[in-house]
Amino acid sequence: MSQLFLLGINHDTAPVDLRERLNFSEGDLSETLVALSTRPGCGEAVVLSTCNRVELYVRCDDLGEARTELTRFLSDFHGVDPAALAPHLYSLASSEAAQHLFRVAAGLDSLVIGEPQILGQVKEAYTTASENGCTGSLLNKLFHCSFAAGKRVRSETELGEGAVSISYAAVALARKIFGNLADHDVLLVGAGEMSELTAVHLKAQQVSRIVVINRTAAQAENLAKKIGGEAIPWTEMQQVLATTDVVVTATGSPAPIITSSQVEAVMRTRRNRPLFIMDIAVPRDVEASAGTIEQVFLYNIDDLQGIVSENLARRSAQITKAEVIVAEEVNGFMTWLRSRRAVPTLVALRQRFEVIRQAELKRLEQKLASLAPADRARVEDVTRLIVEKLLSTPTERLKELSNAETVRMYGDALNQLFDLESSQVPSEQPDDQVVASPKSSVQKTSVPS
Amino acid sequence: MNIAPLLLYVAASIAYGWHFMKRSSRGGRTATSFLVAATLVHTFIIGMQTTEIGHLPLVGTTGALSVFVWLSSIAYLYTETTSNERSMGVFIAPLLVALQVIPTVSRYEVAVRPPVLESPWFVLHISSLLFAYASFAIACVIGITYMLLFKELKAKHVGFFYNRLPSLQILDVMNMRAITIGWLLLTIGVAVGGVWALQAQAEFDDPRVQAMSVLDPKIFIALLCWVVYSFELYARRSVGRTGWRAARFSIIGFAIVLLNFLPVGYFLTRTHNF
Repeated sequence: MSQLFLLGINHDTAPVDLRERLNFSEGDLSETLVALSTRPGCGEAVVLSTCNRVELYVRCDDLGEARTELTRFLSDFHGVDPAALAPHLYSLASSEAAQHLFRVAAGLDSLVIGEPQILGQVKEAYTTASENGCTGSLLNKLFHCSFAAGKRVRSETELGEGAVSISYAAVALARKIFGNLADHDVLLVGAGEMSELTAVHLKAQQVSRIVVINRTAAQAENLAKKIGGEAIPWTEMQQVLATTDVVVTATGSPAPIITSSQVEAVMRTRRNRPLFIMDIAVPRDVEASAGTIEQVFLYNIDDLQGIVSENLARRSAQITKAEVIVAEEVNGFMTWLRSRRAVPTLVALRQRFEVIRQAELKRLEQKLASLAPADRARVEDVTRLIVEKLLSTPTERLKELSNAETVRMYGDALNQLFDLESSQVPSEQPDDQVVASPKSSVQKTSVPS
Repeated sequence: MNIAPLLLYVAASIAYGWHFMKRSSRGGRTATSFLVAATLVHTFIIGMQTTEIGHLPLVGTTGALSVFVWLSSIAYLYTETTSNERSMGVFIAPLLVALQVIPTVSRYEVAVRPPVLESPWFVLHISSLLFAYASFAIACVIGITYMLLFKELKAKHVGFFYNRLPSLQILDVMNMRAITIGWLLLTIGVAVGGVWALQAQAEFDDPRVQAMSVLDPKIFIALLCWVVYSFELYARRSVGRTGWRAARFSIIGFAIVLLNFLPVGYFLTRTHNF
């Protein structure tokens, strides 16, 4: 019986240099997928390769063999010593593998919990595999269930909400004050690393202009060039403050460089338009009392850190809720998977009935010969319909069985009662479409392999 | 029958509350559906009354109140569809409920207008004023949400409202738009009323018409409103925009409007009690 198997590494189990080496580039993927899915004992394959994880999902016949095979494949493909690889690998099968994938898709397994990109990456990995013809009914169902799990966690919990990095929290605040940032200017005071990072985030919001101001003009020039802004002499600070709406200060100055009275003066020329100042310098660059001016929103590094911690706490509080959703989806998938166990028996049963039907029709060939073609077609239809009707309840019942032992018992009984052994055709690759039952909704995602 | 819109407004309030607390989009859609239903039923009732008496049921404070609720609901639904922002519903819907209670429980008779009100000015005067007040109601609600979000951002303890309200900028723009529309309609309403009063004083001997003056509480407060909102519009042009001040003005202004409607309309006015 074919099984689901997963072998992988992620940010928890392997250092970044190993992850980098095992990463599959886009060009490698097709080749890898085909190589994996055509290996003996390995039916289907999906490769999920992101900067934080490399995971191989396959359908296989023997778990131990699959583990050895896939490990060897990884080490051969990337030229990594298998012994060095082994301690970092994790391998999971069946429901555990499904649970793992669902947690990944939901963002529960990410470095930053609830981050939104991973679901897209999972979808992409599946699409690539499916386009290369490397997925069948098992992985099709598995991945569609994982998308559903990811989507449900996103919409039913707040796992992905709130900024969890300082620079992103800053951007979110700016957006809450100014709405669309497209027609607002940004002023960076100080040309350090933190200003750069925040500037990059703000730039992504399509702010209209980024101005860099620094005591050392050359550094300002450098940063301005790097982020596509413009550098302005230190002496023009007051004028620029009057026109920009978002100010990021991050200088190494020991004393405040923007005083409260300076801000007050600027607010008059600004005609009270709101001013958002992020002071991420320590010691602070802006006098704290500037924050009491009506339309000035002054946030220092601790305020931003506070928001980030609150958001992180809020996300963690959602984990249990998300895990429940994942568990529900895993259950759904496992129910479907178990219903597949009965498939070989069902196929055999169906074939048995079909053989009998054909034989009977053949036996009556002479009597039927006198009938008009339309009537013959009707006889054909009616007999087929009778067989369908006879089989529909047993098909449903068999698919509902959850216990493997019961499935085997029923299988044995059916074998005996209908003498299936003699007519059974080897069904190595059960095709779900053959056992279409009236209640076939669970199979809507399956594709004949 | 008269209770149907009230019940639907209550249902909408509950759904808006649910939507706001849980941030559920389904709750939001339900709330909007309830409010649309309430407005439609209310439209039907007002339509029936109109056919019955031959003009909009604007005579008497109670009838006017019902029309006011109806107009506010329409104005709010307009705001909601144009801005795609449902978070204000939780504030406006309970206000509609509170005001709609009065016409629902008072079992008022729909009054036919007395001869003195039989003028083409009548519908224009009242309906532009009621629409102005409805705009001010919306502005007030937006002002409240602005203040809540502003306070949270200032306190640097973002969370509840931060996650539920649009940006200060959007709230400010919406508030200003509501005030501007309201002010224009208020100006029209007051001007029409003034011209009409002068005409009527020459034509009718009705003591109420004769005694009508700027010192009549109802007229006085309408003018006060006009001064308040004019000042805000002026301040915005000259001193510069501050959403905080605009928010405060829109709350004060609407408080005055309510004052005009409820205590003044029912108890104080002697001359303008149509």
